[in-house]
Amino acid sequence: MFELKPMLSALWRNKVSALLIALQLALTLAIVSNATVIVKDRMEKVARPTGMDVENIIAATYMPIPTDYDMAGAVIADLDLLRRTPGVLDASVTNQIPLSGSGSAGTYFNEPNQEIGGENANYYQVDSHFIDTLGLNLIEGRNFTPTDEHVVGPNERHHSEVAVISKQFAEKLFSGESAVGRFFYAGNSDQPVEIIGVVEQHLGAWPGWSRAGNVVFYPLLVTDNHKRYLIRTEPGQRDAVFKEVEELLNNRDPQRVVQVETLSKNLERTYIGDNVMIKVLSLVMALLTFIVALGIIGLTIFWINQRTKQIGIRRALGATRANISRYFLVENSLIAGTGLVLGTAGALIINRLMVSEFSQPTLTLPLLAVCAIVLLLVSITAALMPAMRAANVSPAMATRSV
Amino acid sequence: MLKMQNIRKSYRTDTIETHALRDFSLEVNEGEFVSVTGPSGSGKTTFLNIAGLLETPTGGQYLLDGQEVGNLSDSERSRLRNEKIGFIFQGFNLIPDLNLFDNIDVPLRYRGFNAKERRRRIERSLEQVGLSARAKHLPAQLSGGQQQRVAIARALAGEPRFLLADEPTGNLDSLMARQVMELLEFINEWGTTIVMVTHDPELARRAQRNIQIVDGQVSDLRQTIAQPEVAIA
Ligand SMILES: Nc1ncnc2c1ncn2[C@@H]1O[C@H](COP(=O)(O)OP(=O)(O)OP(=O)(O)O)[C@@H](O)[C@H]1O
Ligand SMILES: [Mg+2]
Repeated sequence: MFELKPMLSALWRNKVSALLIALQLALTLAIVSNATVIVKDRMEKVARPTGMDVENIIAATYMPIPTDYDMAGAVIADLDLLRRTPGVLDASVTNQIPLSGSGSAGTYFNEPNQEIGGENANYYQVDSHFIDTLGLNLIEGRNFTPTDEHVVGPNERHHSEVAVISKQFAEKLFSGESAVGRFFYAGNSDQPVEIIGVVEQHLGAWPGWSRAGNVVFYPLLVTDNHKRYLIRTEPGQRDAVFKEVEELLNNRDPQRVVQVETLSKNLERTYIGDNVMIKVLSLVMALLTFIVALGIIGLTIFWINQRTKQIGIRRALGATRANISRYFLVENSLIAGTGLVLGTAGALIINRLMVSEFSQPTLTLPLLAVCAIVLLLVSITAALMPAMRAANVSPAMATRSV
Repeated sequence: MLKMQNIRKSYRTDTIETHALRDFSLEVNEGEFVSVTGPSGSGKTTFLNIAGLLETPTGGQYLLDGQEVGNLSDSERSRLRNEKIGFIFQGFNLIPDLNLFDNIDVPLRYRGFNAKERRRRIERSLEQVGLSARAKHLPAQLSGGQQQRVAIARALAGEPRFLLADEPTGNLDSLMARQVMELLEFINEWGTTIVMVTHDPELARRAQRNIQIVDGQVSDLRQTIAQPEVAIA
């Protein structure tokens, strides 16, 4: 009923225009599917959980003006003031601001005195309020207590006996076994650090880092030349508190420079490039698909106009309106099918290049299949309107025109 | 076989309304070979199109094979065209992209025959018109007379009860025209009813009956037979 054989031989006699449309579809599939992989990858990256209550956290950085500043004393007084401020749930001191793009990292081993191998992780120096301030989810072990905290000078050798680490890092160090109560070693040191707790997830200072999510927290306060506070507010209170923080800190002690930011802003800045990439590629895909749809509409209309006489003859010989519409839809699907088969090959070749030259993610077959099906549906939809119109050609066309 | 009563057909364009057929009544019996003549624009093709269910009349009654066809749906009309009616056109109307075999195959596919049955019918009808050896040729590779014979083969393959031809020899020289005419007479002898529009008075006389259409109506038959030259003026 589908007249495949004669349809193919008729197509063969018009192969140039058919092939052009097929190639256009092939190219579209090759580009769209590769763009989809990248968009999907970026969207997954942007959608990763940060592990924190990002919306309600403010970060304040300050630098004292005097050189002989009592940093430890200031931290105690500032945190006390902040925690008593209305709208504030908790506050904590830290050496780095999450999602800020600047922080510290080290290499860690599960044996002492190692030189090679090891796992890199982002490390924090914090106090016992830190985990609650960020809203991190402690899934194993215990939180820091004030007795875990130590204050060390900027030039002292500092070493913590305990640490809380992220689950991702725990899995890297102990390959799936429980990490609580076990030890690790920083660098080639022989001093063990006991893991007392594990948090579910924390992206750390650099979400774009290949090891993002490997995190170590030490209960340490290093009295160097600047300090940072993280302040978690009650839901909805962030902006109100944000306006006050700088003034509060300056009023308590004017001898310093304070700078305030929100974690939401940091998160937004972190993914700005990814979001631009997602938008641009999506636009390109939409445009290409639109252009290919226009091409198919144009070609189908052109062919139908060229064949009005033939349509009339077919109608006179007994074709129903449905037969005529179906003829053009099947013909269109054959062209689209050819294009998509070529496009599948093209997509895989381009993706191999993208993987090897630009370290982009691999195009999986299911994703490629989804793109091909979407384009097939687009092409059928594009051909639908002209194909329906073709059915309106009168059978009298067979006798009326020469 | 065919019975038309008071058939009217008018075409309306933006500015004018043309009455192509007016109070047109005609009866054609089973097995007849009727030729239709008349001046250009008199309504011959319009009559043939209505008879062949290619167009619907504006008014009047049309019984085909005893069946009232006025209220049939488009797909029922398509099926009737496919099964009962064969068409032969002045311009041959073969599909240029398809070879002879596939051209004859077109109506048989719409009929739903299986591949074996279609092949049998195609080969037989090609043989009847003497073009078996050319099955794989394209229409453009044949002479006009040969193309018209393929068109006849296409009409024959469906074994229609009713064959309609609109100036089937109009594009052919007299030798080829005579060959086509002989083929039609042969088909008619086997029982197919034929209505043929022609401008050729000699061919018109060879039919069993000649009707003349003037100004959208069947004119007086005796007059037509007495003065054939007037008919083609
Ligand atoms: N689709 C149409 N729209 C408007 N007028 C039409 C249409 N088809 C036919 N006519 C008009 O109807 C009248 C009858 O046309 P028809 O084709 O039946 O004549 P004919 O007898 O076959 O002429 P010829 O011998 O030249 O083929 C003519 O005046 C013609 O212009
Ligand atoms: Mg005519």
